[in-house]
Amino acid sequence: MLHLATCKVASQAFAAARSSMRNVCQRSRVPSVSTTGRSQQHLLRDRGYAEVFQRNKPHMNIGTIGHVDHGKTTLTAAITRVLSEGGAAKFTDYSQIDKAPEEKARGITINSAHVEYESANRHYGHIDCPGHADYIKNMITGAAQMDGAIIVVSATDGQMPQTREHLLLARQVGIKRLVVFINKVDMISDPEMLELVDMEIRDLLSTYNFEGEETPIIMGSALAALEGRNDDIGASKIKELVEACDSWLELPARDLDKPFLMPVEDVFSISGRGTVATGRVERGIATKGTDVEVVGFGSTIKTTLTGIEMFHKELERAEAGDNMGALLRGIKREQIRRGQVLAAPGSVKSAKKFLAQIYVLTKEEGGRYTPFMQNYRPQCFVRTADITVALTWPEGVEDAAEKMIMPGDNVEMVCDLVFDVALEVGTRFTLREANKTIGTGIVTKIFS
Amino acid sequence: MFRNRRPRTTPALKCLYSTATEKPSLKLVAELRKRTEVSIVKAREALSASGNDIDAALEWLQKDLVASGAKKAAKVGGRATNEGLVGVSVLSNFTAFGMQRGLRAAMIELNCETDFVGRNELFGQLVADIAHTAAVISEPSGSFCLFSIQPEFLQDAPLISQSNPSAPPTGTVASAIRDTIAKVGENITLRRAMAVTAQPPTLNGTALRLASYVHGTIHRPTEGRIGALALLALRYPSPKGFSPKLTKKLETLERALGRQIVGFDTKSIDAADPHDQTALYNQPFITFADELNGQSVRNVLAQWSAREGLSFPDGFEAGIKPLDFAKWSVGEPLE
Repeated sequence: MLHLATCKVASQAFAAARSSMRNVCQRSRVPSVSTTGRSQQHLLRDRGYAEVFQRNKPHMNIGTIGHVDHGKTTLTAAITRVLSEGGAAKFTDYSQIDKAPEEKARGITINSAHVEYESANRHYGHIDCPGHADYIKNMITGAAQMDGAIIVVSATDGQMPQTREHLLLARQVGIKRLVVFINKVDMISDPEMLELVDMEIRDLLSTYNFEGEETPIIMGSALAALEGRNDDIGASKIKELVEACDSWLELPARDLDKPFLMPVEDVFSISGRGTVATGRVERGIATKGTDVEVVGFGSTIKTTLTGIEMFHKELERAEAGDNMGALLRGIKREQIRRGQVLAAPGSVKSAKKFLAQIYVLTKEEGGRYTPFMQNYRPQCFVRTADITVALTWPEGVEDAAEKMIMPGDNVEMVCDLVFDVALEVGTRFTLREANKTIGTGIVTKIFS
Repeated sequence: MFRNRRPRTTPALKCLYSTATEKPSLKLVAELRKRTEVSIVKAREALSASGNDIDAALEWLQKDLVASGAKKAAKVGGRATNEGLVGVSVLSNFTAFGMQRGLRAAMIELNCETDFVGRNELFGQLVADIAHTAAVISEPSGSFCLFSIQPEFLQDAPLISQSNPSAPPTGTVASAIRDTIAKVGENITLRRAMAVTAQPPTLNGTALRLASYVHGTIHRPTEGRIGALALLALRYPSPKGFSPKLTKKLETLERALGRQIVGFDTKSIDAADPHDQTALYNQPFITFADELNGQSVRNVLAQWSAREGLSFPDGFEAGIKPLDFAKWSVGEPLE
């Protein structure tokens, strides 16, 4: 019993951490920066604290992918340099960006977003993508997420055999749109060859289901931009690249704009009022009187939010990130329980069987010491629910009965839950066994 | 098609370039790249030098690859290679008393800089070819154990294609590595190689078999992140031999043993301390799809061979005995 309770607490903590990670960008959206806010900032600055971050532009994570010699780091440095002239970035030079080898030596696998810059209408966090396995792991655990990517290709080499692998990675992690930067154009003497690079990369993009014809391809020299020479292939091309990112790459939907969803953490019955479900709003907005559905554990019940409470005060409106209590019309206490969700009608369905990308933690990360085979049954923690799940290989995998999964592996597996629970593509979950987190996963496809 | 794209290169860019006298056509450059995966600059140079003739250009590239590959290899030579693949090649996994054939296999580790290259088919083919070459060139040894091959020695061997072994070798292992470096632009190093070869055992009623397993495979089942080879001695019911049914069962057991060695932190076959799980015999057998699964490897081997009628008559020794094994993971520190 005790360990069940701790599991629940852990799950709650995970859920909170997960949603706070997602929400942190959107939560503190202040409609207008008031004058008091500004003076506070000055005060802080005078006292020598860190500068206050002004969040007045939507944020997006962007990554560079490319061959080691094609100038990813130079391009990143060039972007910060060019944008810093307008005050929209802090110039981050080559040596500061290229910490990856040292970090790798220290066991830090990804140098996520220690470079940032702003365009006219967005704020970008910049991720370097050192390797396939490292990035997939970070994507699954939620440590680093690329919303869009810049593929860097040198004009002298053109695309290389491993460019395929770069595009496959982008596909696998769900990036729908890319921008291509053809670097080192000053080393090419024949402009026709640039056309060939352009043509080849468009072909390849189409092969991997990107919009090959429409994808912006910018040709320039990152080094020229960094050294402040040849403006026509240097700085102006960098500006063009950032503009292309602004206009072509799509902003991820913000939690506030998504349909309402609140995982149920606890249920109370308040005499004279009815049944109250509490939880932290994961996304969207709820107002008093809206219709909601209770989803999960075999039933979908329609009801109405007759009241919203936070800290014993009545509210008209709750939004993503708020801890709220929801008073539900006509629902008995037995009809709703922890693990279900309250959601805008029709916005989310419950499912039992799904395909997921799973990262299995190594023993150094606190995971298992030993491998496992299919039909392994750990506990699956999704939001506030914890349900036994059976893991099997997807159909078509050869020798499924003999395939082994080791700590440290990234695998795609079919998960079969004992009960149905609200799930969508992109929902994250944790796998635990006997007080140990053994893996994390992300839903990639729903079966039933 | 081309006309539409032309305006993408700005006029300002154009005035930077001088037009070459004999221009290789775009189509030919593209064609050449499709066939050889050489860089754009090289493809163009080849066509210029050979007067726009694709066959001559291919020949030119072949010659140039020696020089340019060496140059590229020298340029990237100092860079760290921690990714890559372990590849296993098993030419013959079984020999027994009175048989005419020996046993022969090899395992190699080829490293590159990023796992993007490691996942590429070009690199995978190279690993398969080198592993195959290592297995072919190894001299049969008298001892029943796995032995290492000096990478320098293997580098000079002619590369034997794994997919087409009868084709005449076009170069050495070293030159094949150099060619791939020229294509992918990353440092590639042959880190280590080992082989196991054995003649039929001279003791009546004994056989040797080989278990192998590779974990974290991408394109081929024989190359991935972790690889293991294990040499097993077992009782051989000569002269009638193993029935096909028993051979199937043996293979299942061998695959499971290979997985067991890879899945656990296996360092030895047996240890005095019964709780030492780095010894194969002491580990719970968890990778065997059989009702014996879950018991210690020692018990499973003994019970399995009793069940299948492979125990030695004196009843003391199990019918299957691992003699030696090797387990390699990509990028692990060497002792």
